[in-house]
Amino acid sequence: MSKRILNHPSIPADETTVSWRSQGQLEDSASFRQWLEREFPQGAAEMADGEDVETSRRSFLKLMGASTALAGFGMASCRRPEAYLVPYTKAPEWVIPGKATYYASSMPRPHGATPLVVTTFEGRPTKVAPNHLHPDAGGTDAFAQASVLDLYSPSRSRRVIHQKKVTSVAELEKAIAALAADSSAKLGIVYGTDVSPTRVRLTEELKKKFSAAKFYQYEALTGDVASALPDGVKLAANFSHADRILALDCDFVGDDCQGPTAAFFDRRKPEGRDYTTAPDAASMNRLYVVEGAFTVTGGMADHRLRIAPSQVAGIAAAVAQGLGIAISAPALSDEKHLAWVAALVEDLKENAGKSLVLAGSRQPAAVQQIAVAINQALGNIGEGKPLAALQSEAIGLGSLAQLRDDVQSGAIDSLLLLTPANPIYDAPADFQLSELFSKLKLVIHHGMRTDATAHAATWHVPAAHYLESWSDARTSSGVYTVVQPMILPLYPDCISEFELLLALLATDGKLLFGEGKDGAASPAYDAVRATFSAIGGAGDEVWKQLLRDGFFAGSTYAAASLTPALGAIVVPAAPTTSALEVVFATDSSVYDGRWIDNGWLQEAPDPITKATWDNAALIAPATAEALGITQELRVPEPKTKFVGVEGKYAKVGPDGEGEHRTQRMIEISVNGKSLKIPVLVSFGQAENVIVIPLGYGQGFDADDELKRDTSKSGHVGLVGVNTGFDAYPLRTSASAYIATGATVKVLDQRYSMALTQEHHAMYGRALAREISTMVDKNKGSFEEQLADVPKQGNDSHAPPNIYLYKPEDTKGEPLINDKLHQWAMSIDLSSCTGCNACLVACQAENNIPIVGKKQVAAGREMHWIRMDRYYATQADNTFDAGNPELVPQPVACVHCESAPCETVCPVNATIHSEDGLNVMAYNRCIGTRYCANNCPYKARRFNYFDYNKRNPLIAKNLYKGPFGVKQVGEAPHLQRNPNVSVRMRGVMEKCTYCVQRLKDAVIRQKRGQKQGVLESGKPSPAFQVTETTLRIPVDSVKVACQDACVAGAITFGNLLDKEKSAMARSKEIARNYDLLHYIGTRPRTSYLARVKNPNPKMPDAAFVGKATVHMV
Amino acid sequence: MANIFPRWSNFLPLKIAVCAGSVAAGVALAITYYATPKAQVVGYQPAQPIPFSHKIHVDQLGLDCRYCHSFVDVSGHSNVPSGNTCWNCHQHVQRDSPKLAPLHRSMNPTFAGYDGKPIEWVRIHKSPDYVYFNHSAHVNRGISCQSCHGDVHQMEVVYQAESHSMGWCLECHRAPEKHLRPLEEVYNFSYNAEDYLKANPQDGISSAKDLGLKLKEQYLVKPKETCATCHH
Repeated sequence: MSKRILNHPSIPADETTVSWRSQGQLEDSASFRQWLEREFPQGAAEMADGEDVETSRRSFLKLMGASTALAGFGMASCRRPEAYLVPYTKAPEWVIPGKATYYASSMPRPHGATPLVVTTFEGRPTKVAPNHLHPDAGGTDAFAQASVLDLYSPSRSRRVIHQKKVTSVAELEKAIAALAADSSAKLGIVYGTDVSPTRVRLTEELKKKFSAAKFYQYEALTGDVASALPDGVKLAANFSHADRILALDCDFVGDDCQGPTAAFFDRRKPEGRDYTTAPDAASMNRLYVVEGAFTVTGGMADHRLRIAPSQVAGIAAAVAQGLGIAISAPALSDEKHLAWVAALVEDLKENAGKSLVLAGSRQPAAVQQIAVAINQALGNIGEGKPLAALQSEAIGLGSLAQLRDDVQSGAIDSLLLLTPANPIYDAPADFQLSELFSKLKLVIHHGMRTDATAHAATWHVPAAHYLESWSDARTSSGVYTVVQPMILPLYPDCISEFELLLALLATDGKLLFGEGKDGAASPAYDAVRATFSAIGGAGDEVWKQLLRDGFFAGSTYAAASLTPALGAIVVPAAPTTSALEVVFATDSSVYDGRWIDNGWLQEAPDPITKATWDNAALIAPATAEALGITQELRVPEPKTKFVGVEGKYAKVGPDGEGEHRTQRMIEISVNGKSLKIPVLVSFGQAENVIVIPLGYGQGFDADDELKRDTSKSGHVGLVGVNTGFDAYPLRTSASAYIATGATVKVLDQRYSMALTQEHHAMYGRALAREISTMVDKNKGSFEEQLADVPKQGNDSHAPPNIYLYKPEDTKGEPLINDKLHQWAMSIDLSSCTGCNACLVACQAENNIPIVGKKQVAAGREMHWIRMDRYYATQADNTFDAGNPELVPQPVACVHCESAPCETVCPVNATIHSEDGLNVMAYNRCIGTRYCANNCPYKARRFNYFDYNKRNPLIAKNLYKGPFGVKQVGEAPHLQRNPNVSVRMRGVMEKCTYCVQRLKDAVIRQKRGQKQGVLESGKPSPAFQVTETTLRIPVDSVKVACQDACVAGAITFGNLLDKEKSAMARSKEIARNYDLLHYIGTRPRTSYLARVKNPNPKMPDAAFVGKATVHMV
Repeated sequence: MANIFPRWSNFLPLKIAVCAGSVAAGVALAITYYATPKAQVVGYQPAQPIPFSHKIHVDQLGLDCRYCHSFVDVSGHSNVPSGNTCWNCHQHVQRDSPKLAPLHRSMNPTFAGYDGKPIEWVRIHKSPDYVYFNHSAHVNRGISCQSCHGDVHQMEVVYQAESHSMGWCLECHRAPEKHLRPLEEVYNFSYNAEDYLKANPQDGISSAKDLGLKLKEQYLVKPKETCATCHH
């Protein structure tokens, strides 16, 4: 019945690490074992529930009969359909059919633009990548990667709406002209919090023209930083100078950006960014994190203190006092916290001028002030220091509170909303914004979605995507960066922000947008160019340089001075079981709610909870125990009415995971409001704290599981509808991020959740390995631990050089014999945060479909990269047993030289190439799934349905086969990468090492032969082509995940480049190990053990750096 | 009791089996021949919107392939000429030929039926979606247009000359020497290895086959046969 179980040797007695993926596994390893034994989750391979079964057998035959009959009709014309080649009439310069064209642009973000290089095919943007020329270059996060999908989103707004009715642009033009004609208009304009020099310049002009106009900025979750710092002042961290970093509830590698993080990650590698130096513990930085719930930053921490976010102020004040800053605050009472802070203060003092204290933007202004004061006291601010205070040009902009006051006082009566936020939905409840809107005579909303604000406004103007508009932006350090369009707006009525502002400025109020007469550029182009000529100088040369590079070198913000005003710190009472603390968190998939209609992001598992498509309230295990819901969380509700039925016919597995996993609902009451939401246990979270990610629950339709109010169904598209729970109504402006005094009631209700944490769980010892720079009494010094990395787990018992299968053919010739290229990869766990950027980049590059919540729950997600997230703690952890380490590990196909999948394929659909790739021929695959069954890494994904062709988001649509609704809209296919096959139902797929990029690079290199012949001046038969002619330059090809990774955690290259390639160098260092080395598959992807750099003086130091994960 | 089945029926099952067997074999043979690219696509010669003659342009006028198919050596896709390429000459040459009406419709604003829309040429050579073929990888390494597209320079109306089936691709990938040419001769449709050797004598090489083998060695040509070469 079940698969053969490898009998791993028992864990050695001195091993104290306990590691787990999920609660089910931690508590009940016997039932979890069933999961480990399956390649696919329970029921993944079956047509499951009642109605599906109905549609399965009988109607399958019926449908088959019908489609065969149709096929019969079709036979009459079995000749190949006529296809056409349609060339340009006037071929545009630079466009070569079949080749990508790359443009430098950038994505405006609240904390500073992300510089990008955009790939376009015949004018269609298909993929974004970081601009490595840019001084602030790093990677791109999941949001930037997924932003290209928004351009083609079927639910994108494309028509002007007036008073809830679709109308023409001509009507809008009249309204804008009327507004522009009235220079005494009491106009308010709300911008986003990103900085754009052109917007600043236009605002100055608007101020001149409209004497009564007022300007504001608003985004939902940008925090209290603005109120703590002088107007327009921004803090930007320079991590290359930071030896010690203290993050006070600051997720700076995640959603709370404080400056480019690439340098931070470089210093997480003891051998340096490109593995050029000998391992040196002193070159590493040390990260202290104080936070309430796990973030990806907390996962990277060398020392992590879990504490309710409201109590962070107390820790911050204690650190400040320790450094001799006069500040009045209640003393810490907890002995452990005192010891922790004392050692931390000492370390900060020793590294004065080279340390960095960052306060999270959701912390109150007082904490921001303390952080500034500490940095000043340590001399950390200034040129060549870890922190810079910068003066941006976006000044004089009011806040949402000022907007409210101005509306109430009648100072403004018309409002133009240009912010990417959705204030009707996401503003704190006490602003009562919809009431406020009714006081205004005119509200114009400009946005890409017909969200709640669009419905509440008088006018909704469909916005052009940033890849469709001219603009400019500043990065977090203030580098001037251009935003250039790749394509005219996909829908002709879409208008960009600057086009609206310029219409207001025009004397006749004429709205000019899109392509002008005779192909003239949008007026926004002239506006951006005019701004740039003041910054970079006039003339074509500098402008062309800007468009080519994407940025203007040497432009930065001016330095600003700071004088923190330190008042007495009031720390609220610590939360208790009866007065819980609610933390409103930024969501890793929908941010503040703006990405709710983005399928890639919705389906990307949350880095911490591994939840897809929904949010949930997160609580610590001990709090669940105290609230009496542990048992509820542990025991799933049997969905079958037949009591005692288990196994195949039960609707839920014994561990409650799988297609029918449901979570207990609770009702949280705080600030006089309440919210019903499912609850998930979250390890490493502070006790008595409930974390609720925001941004979900924007609209529901009749298919909603909980039958919620359908009145807002028009606010979201097919992707975002019925997803999650809206926690915004619980927020008030005083408790926008942290609310105290919450109570919880356990409801007799459950909600289905799609969690991927147990999907594709792997067996094996020492899967993710970790060492510490500190001397350990059992494991020895850093050097000894380094040397022991390849021996961890079973690997010291494995015979050297074993191959599962013979690597040569019957004549003894090696099978993997390409002398030019041998591809390989290494993944550095020391800098990987588990942030999902690679996963979404892979999805964009390789035409990977989304499958929808039900299919994810059934374990059918198609992501080629599986971001494993393990927890590991020490059994003897006396400092804080409830604070495990979080270990992320991305696993995709590792391209075994001796691949178990290849030998079991009955049709040779998966084979090995001469250059070391394990390749899939989709057109050969017949879908036996033997290969997936035999893959010890569980890296293969099967197309159970035609996810690319049929819309998986419509209920039961996939089961209707050829009669199902096709993917909606004319647009989504435009995003596809033309060089990657779109897979159909019934074929297996997996990571290809971006073979299309490799082939492209290799073929491009072949042109070197012609060059060589020309240079030699000889006829071509006399020219000897050598390996150097045909081998691509060292590290010149980047795979999609590697390119996206800000942490530089993935290196890829040609093994035959030897030590010239960073990848090959990384394979030579001591930290390198193969995943499941002992079974002899010889994977081409290897991993580098994670290194923690604890401070030996810290009270928890002995428990850090041992999180080697065993799954047995 | 008399026999129900007469004597002649003894062999009936066998006869039926033989007949059915030969019919099945016939059907199988027919399918293996007629349902393959060799029978299905070779000779496909659809009518084009403009009866463009390669014979006139290439053979008589001596245009290089790359004048119109301008990106064949840089891109995977060999482009058909954009309207302005045709118009370069035909705004002067044969301007009033009625055959060029579609070109005028797309390029000539003074033309009565001008709509500015591109000409829709009927596609002849089409590989399936799951096949990745790159022109530049072949023409830059000594494989001529002629090897795959036949004697296009003699075609009044273009047709598919070769089957372009996977077996046909692999034939050449296994023995590229049969088709390799010096790089200078890739676009020369009247290339002949013997003539080439007479004009450019090579040490110890007398036959076309030897020239191919030499080029294979000089150019380090090692065509791949793994699936991922074309399927990804």
